[in-house]
Amino acid sequence: MNYYLGIDIGSISTKGVVIDDEHNIVARSYLWTEGNPTQAAKRVMSELSEQLPDNARVVGAGTTGSARRLVGAMIGASVVKNEITAHAVGTTCLHPDVRTILEIGGQDSKIICVDGGIAVDYAMNTLCAAGTGSFLSSQAHRLGVEVEEFGPIALTSKKPANIAARCTVFAESDLVHKIQVGYAREDIIAGLCSAVASNYLNNVGKGKKIEAPVVFQGGVSKNVGVVHAFEEQLGMPVAVDPDGHLMGAFGAALLAADAGPVSIDGAYAAPAATGPFVSGCLDFDAVEDFSFTTREVECQKCANHCEIICVYRDRDLIDAWGNRCERGEIKPS
Amino acid sequence: MPSLQKAKNMLESLAQPRVEDTTVQVKVSDDARTQVVYEPEEPRRAIPFPRLKKKLKRDRHKRTKVSVFRYAYYDPAFKFFVEQVLDCDYLQLPKATKRTMDLGIQNSSDYVCTPFKHMMGDWIEALELGADILVQVGGPCRLGYYGEMQEQILRDMGYEFTMLNFSHGIEQGYFGWGKEVLKMVNPDIDIPYGVKQLLATGHMLSLLDQARDFYMANGGFECERGAFRHAWEDFLDAMRAATDKAEIDSAYARSMEEMRAIPLNKPANPVRIGIIGELYTAIDENSNLGLDEKLMDMGVEVYRTLNFSNRYTHYNEANLRRTISEYAQYDMGPTSTMTLAAAKKYAQLGFDGLIHAKCAGCTPEIDCIPVLRRISEDFHIPVLYLTYDTETSDTGLMTRLEAFYDMLYMKNVSDAGGVTVRSSGSLRR
Repeated sequence: MNYYLGIDIGSISTKGVVIDDEHNIVARSYLWTEGNPTQAAKRVMSELSEQLPDNARVVGAGTTGSARRLVGAMIGASVVKNEITAHAVGTTCLHPDVRTILEIGGQDSKIICVDGGIAVDYAMNTLCAAGTGSFLSSQAHRLGVEVEEFGPIALTSKKPANIAARCTVFAESDLVHKIQVGYAREDIIAGLCSAVASNYLNNVGKGKKIEAPVVFQGGVSKNVGVVHAFEEQLGMPVAVDPDGHLMGAFGAALLAADAGPVSIDGAYAAPAATGPFVSGCLDFDAVEDFSFTTREVECQKCANHCEIICVYRDRDLIDAWGNRCERGEIKPS
Repeated sequence: MPSLQKAKNMLESLAQPRVEDTTVQVKVSDDARTQVVYEPEEPRRAIPFPRLKKKLKRDRHKRTKVSVFRYAYYDPAFKFFVEQVLDCDYLQLPKATKRTMDLGIQNSSDYVCTPFKHMMGDWIEALELGADILVQVGGPCRLGYYGEMQEQILRDMGYEFTMLNFSHGIEQGYFGWGKEVLKMVNPDIDIPYGVKQLLATGHMLSLLDQARDFYMANGGFECERGAFRHAWEDFLDAMRAATDKAEIDSAYARSMEEMRAIPLNKPANPVRIGIIGELYTAIDENSNLGLDEKLMDMGVEVYRTLNFSNRYTHYNEANLRRTISEYAQYDMGPTSTMTLAAAKKYAQLGFDGLIHAKCAGCTPEIDCIPVLRRISEDFHIPVLYLTYDTETSDTGLMTRLEAFYDMLYMKNVSDAGGVTVRSSGSLRR
């Protein structure tokens, strides 16, 4: 049986799944990126390889998330895809009847409208980090509560505090004010959760028709308080999949499965010829053994001074990007 | 130089004692303190007819260097206007760099719209390169006030220059403004010739836009990568070299032939995207981070009704507004009628998606967004709203464009009766 790997390297957490030919998830992993995407990807892969049967052949890989290009170069992925497409593909595969996908991650949030199993419209937050996971975790730190405990605490609140939801800065100063005048902690936390939901609906979901069934995913979907706030504000049930946080990785794996096994002489010959896919299937140990370094080169050919990012596997340059024109092109040898 | 010669002659005439029979007459008036020397005129040479040398009204004017801000692919037309109509030297600005942007940001208010910052950067670079006259075309929104603002900022920075501001033409009428141009820029403009060449400039703008439309519709499907880009650069070079309407026409004909000859590999039902939005950002590749090039690289047929000639030369607001009478009763500002009319037209033509590009703080285009939402709902056409700032990152834009393309592509395939939702392999790039 052929297996496919999908990795979603986000700003806060890194997710990985391995699927089989029938699109079943056979291995899953979820851990913090901790500001080191290559290391996080290595850890995810070693966790995944432990869950796989001994003779499993992983014949293709896809990456998504903000470090998709780096990790894609690292493991020789055949598909490097943006997180919106990956989420849409992953979710519509698990929930073919879904109409609206709400997604709140560590640093960005998006809404995808689906009609007949196909994404028809999407929106993504711009210029504003309000109502994302990192906002919640920084406020959790302020309140001295672990962000994972937010949900259960919020549900105990009888009367959530009304926290300004327009913008992170306003929300934060309002929050401080509410703390200082002595609101109960669970009311403040419930207020925060509902602020996140209403901020999301006002900014990202603005002008989009939200129709049932709604699926909520991303790291914040693990917070039952936010789920509850969404249900209340939308007036419809909001489904959270137990694998909801893995949807990006699942979508990347599906896309890799669609693209087929990595071929040595295909379009992606360059990474496959020397990378972890050299024998036609992914060599987990090879990824573990190689060291990956990124170096930044400042192009001096014009006043743009493009920052060109070069990724090296041990000593070999495997990928480079960031140049705006062909003069700054650095090609892997 | 003639005056120097004159002075030399004068000195010689003073130094040497004159012989009686020379024509030099020395006359001392009764109350004059100094001696006044009158020189005889040199015998006139027969002037060949027709007169070859241009008659200068005032020879104290030197040739002036004129610069226009960078604006998409219109610099051949600007060059033609400066050289043929104004009869001045054109200062061709090099490609904009990060430094241009930094200069613009440093010297503009933070909340002003982004084109202002781009233009400030262009002006400063032009003045550094020795421009005497800056041409601000003005515009139908607050761009109309930017000429004065920028002039004041640049003067405060200590630059000496003349600002030729087209928005003065709106207040003074064409004739008053024409007089101002004569006075400020070049008093020796040959008016009938200038009018003829001004019409040719308009013609060139239309041809540039026509060629660009062809390029955008087909550039994504070239068999050999870079063929269109190459032909397009050649076309711009030929346009820069043209000096009259006949040359413009022949350059256009030649380049179009060249572009039509490029072999294409176009699918039967490609993804078609219409770009709508604000006059500067939606067109200028420097401020929209190469939006049309990026879309073409993905293999999209790109359309954009909005361009300089459609907005100025062939613009008929009342007629355009009639096509969207169910959405808008009055004109909301510079390009809003055009944005909405184009959006509706593209939707009716069955385009796959629309991209609305505007700069941060563009009020007329923000006003368009609710109407665009209605159009999007009525015609089931997705719209991607992009707001460009000087800090807009290329990566973020690419993520959004890729996702938009993937979405339209999958939809396109399934509408055409495709078997798999994820359309085997075609999504990998």
